[in-house]
Amino acid sequence: MTAIGGCSSQVTVDNPTIPEPLVEKIPLSVAVRYPPEFEHYIHEEKVIGKEKWTIDLGRSNQSLFTNLFRSMFDDLTVVDNSAEPGDLGVDALIEPSIDAFEFSTPSQSQTQAFAVWIRYRIKIFDREGEQFANWPISAYGKSQSTVMGGDEALERAAVLAMRDAAALIVMQMDKTTRISRLGRPSVSRVAARPEAQPPAPTNAEPVEEEPEAIVSEDTSDETG
Amino acid sequence: MRRANCYFAGRLVRLLMVVLPGILIGACTTARVEDVRVTSTGIEEGEGIVIMARSYHLGNETEMKFIDCVGDAISRGSGGLRVIPHDEFVDALFPWFEPRTAPSDTKGLPDLLKRPGVADTIAQKGVRYVIWLDGDTERTTGGGSLSCAVGPGGGGCFGFAWWQNDSKYEAAIWDITALESAGTISANVSGTSYLPAIVIPIPLIARTRAKACKGLADQLKMFIVTEEDA
Repeated sequence: MTAIGGCSSQVTVDNPTIPEPLVEKIPLSVAVRYPPEFEHYIHEEKVIGKEKWTIDLGRSNQSLFTNLFRSMFDDLTVVDNSAEPGDLGVDALIEPSIDAFEFSTPSQSQTQAFAVWIRYRIKIFDREGEQFANWPISAYGKSQSTVMGGDEALERAAVLAMRDAAALIVMQMDKTTRISRLGRPSVSRVAARPEAQPPAPTNAEPVEEEPEAIVSEDTSDETG
Repeated sequence: MRRANCYFAGRLVRLLMVVLPGILIGACTTARVEDVRVTSTGIEEGEGIVIMARSYHLGNETEMKFIDCVGDAISRGSGGLRVIPHDEFVDALFPWFEPRTAPSDTKGLPDLLKRPGVADTIAQKGVRYVIWLDGDTERTTGGGSLSCAVGPGGGGCFGFAWWQNDSKYEAAIWDITALESAGTISANVSGTSYLPAIVIPIPLIARTRAKACKGLADQLKMFIVTEEDA
């Protein structure tokens, strides 16, 4: 899992286990599309005056989001990167990506802990392929260094950050992006309200009274 | 060859004879453990407790090994309580007890227990009390100097170093059945460690964290088991 060579440290994050969330599923059929860099994300950084760190998230992000969305939605299909939303026959297409990865070592923070920040972005497209939401989220993980060295602590901090993102997505995704409104109206509702239209995206900030909104607010952590 | 082995074994034994008593004796510490009871407590057969760290999102630095230490100490010995592993509890209730999402006070408990599956899972695990630990161990001051050298004829150290550690922890006890705070227990332990060295360093370590762990665990056990009115 971990290899140390000279003045560099390499940390590989294996597939983290994210438990089945205790939430009701959103009644949607969704597809998820991963950008190529998301499937094998590697962060390299040289800490000034110290060693070089290479953090390989491998396929752990893909595994995390696939398991997470499978727990959150009635139906999930993983599609390849070239798939277009309009051809999929699903209610929504979700495209997660990583905007930024940062970490701090004990020597930088003057504590005994490693900390990791991951900034994800989740784009949601409706069944016509129009972007419906664009949601940046900041996740944070922190782990005390151990006598075994920093590699294990940094890996744990990264896993905790991914788990933090998962918790945030479970709790806030529908509230923030209103993805559940992309569901197909039931036959009875269509019969009762023939004028019903699917929600149209706008660029407005989310407002309680306005159901149709693209979200661009950052649900971020204030720590660190 | 055998003579050389005997020589090194003899030196190792002599070294251990000097160093081990120092480690075992330790240095002086002062400890204060206090509790504040809000409601009466008590625990039935089949009920257990779970020990959690306050969220690091709130700046808490409680070490995982301290939480494990308190859990082990509470579950051991006569009258040991059933301690549900915190990882198992947090996983079973995902995402409601994550560092970002865990309730910060008991006011949030009624709403949390209304969420699908939460009350059932807590009941299934047999959790009666959630103990939230806050605090850490810090090196507050230190001084002295110690230098070591190695040469062809051997090596050795000379000097004197000292440092003071303060361990300050607080446990908040939540009664999940009554949906209220049962009270708090605080443990403050400070101690100074010494490291004199004349050829061989002799560590006299003040184990403040271990002492805080034991003090807090003993008091927690008594606090929960004793059916005392507030």
